[in-house]
Amino acid sequence: MDVNVIYNVEHEMHLGTLIALYFYLTGLSAGSFIISTFAYGFGMVKYKPLGKIGVVMATLLLIIAPMILLIDLAQPLRFWHLILYLRITSPITWGTFLLTLYPINCMIYGYFMFKGNLKRTKIFGLIGIPLALMVHGYTGFILALGKARVLWNTAIMPPIFLVSAMVSGLAMMILVVIVKDYFIQRGKEHDPTLIYGLGKLLVVSIVLDLILIGIDLTVLLTSHTEAYIAALMLLEGSFSHLFLGVEVFLGALVPLFLLLFPLTKRWVPGIAIASVLTMIGILAMRYIMVVGGLTIPLS
Amino acid sequence: MKKNSIEKKRYAMVIDLRRCIGCHTCSVACKAENRVPLGVYRSWVKIIEKGNYPNISRHFLPTLCNQCDHPPCVINCPVQATWKLENGIIIIDEHRCIGCKYCLASCPYNARHINPLIPIVQKCTFCHHRVYAGLEPACVEACPARARIFGDLNNPQGEVAKLLSKHPFQVLKHEMGTYPQVYYIGADLDAMDPFAGRKEWM
Repeated sequence: MDVNVIYNVEHEMHLGTLIALYFYLTGLSAGSFIISTFAYGFGMVKYKPLGKIGVVMATLLLIIAPMILLIDLAQPLRFWHLILYLRITSPITWGTFLLTLYPINCMIYGYFMFKGNLKRTKIFGLIGIPLALMVHGYTGFILALGKARVLWNTAIMPPIFLVSAMVSGLAMMILVVIVKDYFIQRGKEHDPTLIYGLGKLLVVSIVLDLILIGIDLTVLLTSHTEAYIAALMLLEGSFSHLFLGVEVFLGALVPLFLLLFPLTKRWVPGIAIASVLTMIGILAMRYIMVVGGLTIPLS
Repeated sequence: MKKNSIEKKRYAMVIDLRRCIGCHTCSVACKAENRVPLGVYRSWVKIIEKGNYPNISRHFLPTLCNQCDHPPCVINCPVQATWKLENGIIIIDEHRCIGCKYCLASCPYNARHINPLIPIVQKCTFCHHRVYAGLEPACVEACPARARIFGDLNNPQGEVAKLLSKHPFQVLKHEMGTYPQVYYIGADLDAMDPFAGRKEWM
């Protein structure tokens, strides 16, 4: 039977790219913080060169990220309402406190690390891990609790966000190490095993990310009508190029090939390309989740 | 329907689509009463056409904020800028709203909008200022076909309770668990379905 919509109103959603960028930056920050604690929190000596870079990146990114949120507010000067009139059921309120505590903890952790006080560095590193996980987990909750949007409202959203944070954080750290070893400290002797080790971790987290995306898609495809339509939007609709082409193929499969193929897995430029592609893929994933979720019509 | 305590008032609206003629008077009255800016609507009438000639029909769906009993917008607002009154109406404090737009993303009914002139979120409030003064909402008063009926759901002698007790009725997106308080009599499923008639989505 033919159905034609003669008249309808759809309100413009003033939410999107900036929020996706914010999620991306928090993910990078959480990822690099956790990598920085490998050496100083858990005592893995191999990753010691990453400790200081990791905490500096984590702090800087977490200073930029809330700025983006403030710009996105329609009334940025009323930001203090978030602290004064908080409502505890809203994930944004959780974020208010996490985004305050986490950078402070990062700074204390970094301060003791640069001072060389290893015992206190370890304490604040271990406090920082749950904070880093929560800072990024809560962004997953922001989407998961927006129950009007079928692409967002799934229990797997916080884990997907955590794993993709790990993916993008590892990729960024690989790039940072490559830039440091091959451009800034070119003359010095350096050991590429650190890059290979990070590459292995990147493979593990990309595979985990792909598994979680696969689980999400499987459930969407077999769930109710709206979920099925959302899955089709990703697989063959308006977001299919971005999802299949950029997020899955360029952002996950090509890096996996580069990191696992015997000829390229010890080839540093190859690892660099894989890292860049992974970071682009995760940015595309954030964009698809936020903007794609909002394009599904409601009325 | 969710059972409330009987003493409290619970304002609700019944939209009797057997009477609706699709004239958009409610949209215009709402615009005039609430000074809603160009480009956004607090209440509008969705119109669909279905069937093939000669078996064809046109259906209307006047849409507004559903004043949910479990409102996701209220649960998700981080600054308590929107809340449910004792009588069930959801209102917004325009001086407290920070414009984070999370309520726009949480509302399953597309009922909220950003005011293009003053950047805050607004929506239908059942004309709370009129109800407070003992009047009916502007759309109800203006409807020439008396398709919109407004009143206290908990008053068994009221027209809302009588209509809902006697007729089969529908609500929008029942599965969301929001307990909407705008009830439709004789609504068409294709008009209520956001995807019906959208070729690009099916």
